[in-house]
Amino acid sequence: MPIPTPDHPCWHKLASGALAKLRTEHLGTQFLIKNMERSKDPVPVKAQAIHAYFAKWERLLGAELKQLTAL
Amino acid sequence: MNQLISLQAAADLILAGRFLAVAGPEAVLDQLPAGRWIGGTIPYFMTEAGGTVVQDERVFVTDLTDVGTLAGIGSFGPDELAQVSGGAPDNGFALVIIPAGGETHRRFAAEAAAFPDAFVKPAVGWISGVHLSDLGRVTPKVYDGSSRTKHEDRAVVAHIGLPADKLVQVDIVNLFQPEDGDVLRFTEASFEVGECEVNGQKRRLSDYVVERGLEHGRQPLVGDFAGARINASLQSVNAQGGTVTLYAPVFPGVEYRFAQPQSDYAASFQAETARQDQSGAIWSCNCILNFLFGELEGKRIGGMSGPITFGEIGYQLLNQTQVIVRLV
Repeated sequence: MPIPTPDHPCWHKLASGALAKLRTEHLGTQFLIKNMERSKDPVPVKAQAIHAYFAKWERLLGAELKQLTAL
Repeated sequence: MNQLISLQAAADLILAGRFLAVAGPEAVLDQLPAGRWIGGTIPYFMTEAGGTVVQDERVFVTDLTDVGTLAGIGSFGPDELAQVSGGAPDNGFALVIIPAGGETHRRFAAEAAAFPDAFVKPAVGWISGVHLSDLGRVTPKVYDGSSRTKHEDRAVVAHIGLPADKLVQVDIVNLFQPEDGDVLRFTEASFEVGECEVNGQKRRLSDYVVERGLEHGRQPLVGDFAGARINASLQSVNAQGGTVTLYAPVFPGVEYRFAQPQSDYAASFQAETARQDQSGAIWSCNCILNFLFGELEGKRIGGMSGPITFGEIGYQLLNQTQVIVRLV
C-alpha cells in the first residue's frame, strides 16, 4: 500500500491522537508513538514528523501502513 | 569481523584504513593508532565461546567498513547531542558511545527522543564503563580514533550512510515481563526518584521498593512504550533519604510495573535468539546487569557477540536489554 500524500487528512488525525491506536511490534514505531503522545508540539508539526517517519520506513512498515487511514 | 582480537591485529586493521568500532580496557585502547575508529572502555564481552572478562591486551572489534559509507566521526558534548542523529546521512544511522556517569549520559538519557531526526536516523550504541572492581576509582572513557582523543564526558559518534537498498533495523531482546500488579507513574524524567504514584496513590518509591523486598535490583521497572517493554534498572535505594537511583530515567506519561523475576538468563536469551530474525545483523551489545545477575561469564547465549555495557542505546537509553542492529 502506498503511503498517503502529505496533505492527506490521516496525518492530522494521527497527530491528534489516533497514532496511539496503531498496532505494531516495530521498536522505532513504538518509540515514535509514545514520543508523539508525550510531545507538546503543535499538531501540524507532529503530522509532518509522522509523515516523514512513515515515508522513511515505508518498506519495513507494510502492516502499519495498512492501518493508517483507518485509525 | 565481530570478535576479540589482539591489540596488534586491531592496530593493523586501523592502519589498513578499516572502519572499526572498538571496545576494551583503557590501557589497551590508549595504544591504538589514529584512524577510522571509535571506541569505549569496558572489559566485559559476550563472545561465541560465552561471556568473558578481558584482562589482557585484547580488544573487541567490529569491522563496519563494508556496512556503508563512513560519513564522519566526531565527539559531542552535553549541549551538542542534537547532532547525534541529526548529523547522520539521510539513509543512515549514528553509532554512539557515551561514558557512564557524566552529564552527557544523563542528558542523552533524558532527551534522546526529542532530538531532531531521532526516529528517521536512529542512534544505536552503548554506554562505556569500567571493571566493577574499579568503580569509583576509574572513570569510563570514549575514544575518537580520528583525532586519537579520549573523553570522560562527551559522546563519540560515527555517522554511517547506507546503500539505497538497505535500511537499518534496531531490535531488542528484553527478557523481562512486567508483573500483572501495581502500576507506577512518575511526574518527571529522572534517574533519581522520590515520590511516584502507585495505582494512583502518591508514595515514596523507596518505601514501596523496600516493602516489596526489591532493593536487590534484579527486577527492573518495565515501562510500556506503546507495547515495547523498556526497562529502567535499580542502581541503589536510599530508604532513609527516600530516594531510588536508577540506571536509566523513568518518564512521565508512561506506565511502569516491576518485572517478574528472571531465573535462567542464558536459556532465556538462547530461546529469544532462536525466535528472532538475526539476518543482516552487524552489531550488538548487552547489559552488565544481565551479565552479573545471569552469571553469564563462561556461558553462551547464542546470537551476536558484542560488548557487555553500562547501558545500551537503541533510539534511546535502555537497561538490561540486548540491542541488535541489522541491515534489511
